[in-house]
Amino acid sequence: MSRFYYYLILINMIANIISAVPTILLYYREDGAVSALIVGAMLGLVIVVIYTKFFNAFPGMTFPELLVKTMPKWFYYPLLCFMAIMWFVAGASTLITYTFLLIRYLTPDIPIILLGLTLIVSIIFGCFMKTDRVLYTIEIIFLINFPIIIFIIIKAYTSKSLNWDFIKAAMLHVVEMPNMNVITACIFLSLGVVNLVIFNRFFTQKQNFGLKQIMVVAFISIATIFTTYFIPIGFHGLKSIEEMIYPWVATSDSMRMKFFLIERLVYVFLLLYLSMAFLSILIHWHVAVELFKFVFRLEKIKYKDIPIGYLIIILFFTAASLFLIVTLTEYQLFQYSKYFFNLTAVNFFGMIFLLFYIARRMKGAKDSKN
Amino acid sequence: MSSKEILLWIMNQFNDTVELIYKPLELDNKKITVLYIKSLIDQELFQKYILQPFFEIDSEEKLQVYLMALPQFQEVPSKEEGLLYVMEGNVLVEIQENLYAIDFKLSKNSDVNSTSVETTIHGSELALSDNLMTNINIIRSFYHEPTLTIEYFLKGEVNKPKIAVIYDQERVKTTALNMIKEKLEEIDKQVITESPQFSNFLNHKRFSLFPQMLLTERPDRIVYNLAGGKIVLLVDGSPQCMMAPAVFFDFMTTTEDNYHTFVISYYLKLLRYLGIFVCILLPGIYIGAASFSPEVFRTEFMLTIAGSRMGVPFTSFVEVLFMLFFMELLLEASIRLPKAISATAATVGGLILGTAVTEAALASNIMVIIVSAVAISTFVIPVNEMAFAIRIVRLLLIVIASIFGLAGLTLGFLCIIMYLVNQTSYGEPFLRMYNYRKGDKKSEGQA
Amino acid sequence: MLKTVKTKFFILAVISSLILLSGCGEFKDIDKMVFVSMIGIDESGNPDKPYKIILKLYVPTSSFKQNPAPEYSYLIKEGLTMAETISLLESHIDKELDFGHSKLIVVGEKMLQNQKNKVILDFLIRRPDIQMISYFAVGRPNAEEIVKFAPAGETALQPTIFNYFDNSGAETSYIVTSFLFDFRRRMKEDGISPILPIVEMDESKTHFIINKSIVLEEDKPPYELDSEKTLLVKLLSNDAKSIFYEVKRGDELFVTRLDTIKPHYTVDIKENNKVFIKVDIKLAGIITESKNSLRNKELPRYSKLLDEEMKEKVTAVIDELKREGYDPIGFGLRLNSHTLPKNRMNDKEWLAAFQNANVEVKVDSSLKSTGSIQ
Repeated sequence: MSRFYYYLILINMIANIISAVPTILLYYREDGAVSALIVGAMLGLVIVVIYTKFFNAFPGMTFPELLVKTMPKWFYYPLLCFMAIMWFVAGASTLITYTFLLIRYLTPDIPIILLGLTLIVSIIFGCFMKTDRVLYTIEIIFLINFPIIIFIIIKAYTSKSLNWDFIKAAMLHVVEMPNMNVITACIFLSLGVVNLVIFNRFFTQKQNFGLKQIMVVAFISIATIFTTYFIPIGFHGLKSIEEMIYPWVATSDSMRMKFFLIERLVYVFLLLYLSMAFLSILIHWHVAVELFKFVFRLEKIKYKDIPIGYLIIILFFTAASLFLIVTLTEYQLFQYSKYFFNLTAVNFFGMIFLLFYIARRMKGAKDSKN
Repeated sequence: MSSKEILLWIMNQFNDTVELIYKPLELDNKKITVLYIKSLIDQELFQKYILQPFFEIDSEEKLQVYLMALPQFQEVPSKEEGLLYVMEGNVLVEIQENLYAIDFKLSKNSDVNSTSVETTIHGSELALSDNLMTNINIIRSFYHEPTLTIEYFLKGEVNKPKIAVIYDQERVKTTALNMIKEKLEEIDKQVITESPQFSNFLNHKRFSLFPQMLLTERPDRIVYNLAGGKIVLLVDGSPQCMMAPAVFFDFMTTTEDNYHTFVISYYLKLLRYLGIFVCILLPGIYIGAASFSPEVFRTEFMLTIAGSRMGVPFTSFVEVLFMLFFMELLLEASIRLPKAISATAATVGGLILGTAVTEAALASNIMVIIVSAVAISTFVIPVNEMAFAIRIVRLLLIVIASIFGLAGLTLGFLCIIMYLVNQTSYGEPFLRMYNYRKGDKKSEGQA
Repeated sequence: MLKTVKTKFFILAVISSLILLSGCGEFKDIDKMVFVSMIGIDESGNPDKPYKIILKLYVPTSSFKQNPAPEYSYLIKEGLTMAETISLLESHIDKELDFGHSKLIVVGEKMLQNQKNKVILDFLIRRPDIQMISYFAVGRPNAEEIVKFAPAGETALQPTIFNYFDNSGAETSYIVTSFLFDFRRRMKEDGISPILPIVEMDESKTHFIINKSIVLEEDKPPYELDSEKTLLVKLLSNDAKSIFYEVKRGDELFVTRLDTIKPHYTVDIKENNKVFIKVDIKLAGIITESKNSLRNKELPRYSKLLDEEMKEKVTAVIDELKREGYDPIGFGLRLNSHTLPKNRMNDKEWLAAFQNANVEVKVDSSLKSTGSIQ
């Protein structure tokens, strides 16, 4: 399996460590979170396997192209529009979370609109790149940051202040009934694979996706979920961790690099996550832009020979994100993220039936051609 | 037109006939006419191969056969060609109503230079020379493949130097070759003197920051890249050649990477990449840490910075720009220093940029260290074209860091990586990590 | 063509954001900021303004080699709430206060007895710029004297008191290192009590002495542990690196240096809610000082003496903690980690059960040598 596929999955998982996902998980920690983690991990794996096998059957074709071939127009235009908006919201939620984080910890004096605008401006022009260039960017930035991620994780696990008693106490909550919100949040972690709707354009040859690859994905998924949930508990205790608004930022603040140039790990963590958030928003908004391009045929909209279609999209994304940044409070962000994760999980599970239908029709078309 | 008329026409093209020698020779029943430019031909060769046999061979037919057998023999198809041949140093010989050109060009610049810009510890110290023929000689003697193809072009309306495009037929990347040939046809410049000019001519963009073609003067590097499928452009009169397509990692490798053992060359490569990071990011980090987020670094370190900044009247960003400006001036000026003054200038630079500035409290000690570290690490990059581009990128990052702080610095750095990835050099993506283990096998395609 | 358009838009966007920014004042040079080194919180004795905040500020020195003596300045103010006091303090100084480098928080002894711990903790955690890895300590007699004190031999590099806590200077095991996040989780969780080091000065007022600790528990007065008990508590919490331990049994009196210490304890709850605590300590070390001369082949006997001594002392410490109702080692937490959530006890129930717990200590030591001589 090509290494770019693993990047897509990994970035989604890692970038969500700072998003609303751990907050949701820890909010329900005494209410069925642990069992829901297990259920969510399994369901996420199911989604990964189904989607990958589906897209592997049609190498090089993006999802809109497949829809054009098999479904009527009135069906797929609204569907693609809806999907594009969903991807936009996914990227925007990471953007808003990260803007809030930056304002609070790194640069408290900058007006919030400016910070959001800076992030948006740096990302938006990358969304218009070709798909393979986006993947090369991801590879390079990921390779630069990966050693730091490994270092932080190793430091967290081997720290003397990590109290395993808290973790064991938390794990014993597995006897409770799983909680729906936590299941959908876990599924969202594995939803990196649905970026293949556009990124499949890059994989023009049939890939190997057998048991070994599934094991690798399962291992990554379980390790990430375990780390995301249990490490903050180990550092901060079970009962009162919900008073931490950003559990992972507080966790990285509890680790100390005695002999290095930067003493508080939280700054390394924040800058590292800036890169990861950048990549995650880039992926999501690239898919959104591509879907919008397909639906509205944006290259064709010209006004006196200037391709104004792109400008409309840029303005729309910028204005919508800035509006959300300014009006949302942290609590609203948390609530809306919860609803959004529920929506995406339901949506992508429902789309599985659509995938089966398309696969059958494509095979029928291929057989009739032969 | 008969040969005689061609010769007369050519003579009429020249206003000044002092250098142009038109000599009819007649002895017994042999009659030839020679036309040449005195300062261009090697007179000893002319005497040995044309005048002496003229007097020794008895018949005109035998003389003609002799002339046609000479290695420097060329046919003259038209009068414009004839004019061109005279300008290039040929002797036009008119014999028996036929016009032939014999190449006796005297090249005084055909010595092989020694490397001045790209020096290595091991490896040969010879570089290309100024003469196109010598260079082609060098390349051909290093690269013994029959598939080595050389095509000649003549561009540049005023001075018409000979331009050679060299590639290995079997291994070359055909998309790149077609693009280059297409763009070469479109060039309509007046004067072409050096091959680095081609990187501007063969490029559609007006503002491009990073070099798209690789410039080198070492034959071993040329040969290595030819075997990798690159196209080499040589211009007569220029001791450097341009190679296309070039990707980012070409600018960071030296030929020595192949001579050392694996561990050593890996270590050196790591050093170079760390050098680039230091060069680009260090001034920005200083500005971000000193002025925006002083709580990032260790307490002792920040106290040292605060202590060394005591008494400096400028803000950190002005201080950085000020020191960097002087350093850039010094670098620019040191290229053109006459040898007599170079020692003085080194002292001046060292004293001013070092001690005196700190003593006068115009800049802090730490700033001096940063600027020297940055200056040294700029030259760790093996190919100078990239070093110039990196200097500009560093300036951009300083501006961004002064406005947005450390977060802005990171974002700026990511944006630059995105910009680099978006570049294409003649069909090849500019920045891309190759998968060395799988070799050339494509497991994914271009999208 | 698209790329030139995009480049133009990019430049346009950048320039417009630059214009937006030229008014913003995020840029603050380092000479306009002053770093806070320590925060002291004291009881002011004034019921209207109960908090007295003492801030120790670094004064940077331009040439370290020429004047290595440290220079600090202090800000002291009393107020009703801590946040208000600090914002008032900012008006006392021309530069901006930067808390990002403050590494120590000293609370006066009297402050602890007022049960205001929760409020103090809330203030410290809620501010995002105070490090969660700051050290937390109790100052005797009060925080102001400790904060203002600079012992002999201190250089301008960093205050020496940090070296006590981060194990990079002194490596003794009498010092309890309590990070802010650790203090917080001990306060808020069931089954483990907060423990803080006590910082005091010696009589000649030239050095710090940190070798006692204080254990806190809700609704109870703080309880002090003397240096030996502190050492044993640290040993049980797996926090001791190498200790010197004196054995006085019968006729023998020798001091051992133990550098391999592996404590292990299990907490179980058996029939009729009785708690059983089993402690198992493995030690290894050498003998460094002795009253009598020793013989190498008697090492097993000396190990046995060490076993008995340690067992007696450890049991005494745990009994004392049981009796008074404090649990800094975390036995309750260990119990919680293997009981189902619905069966878990909260803090008060645990402390009541702890009082009647049955404690069994087993020590297994092996002394490797008698030093350079016998």
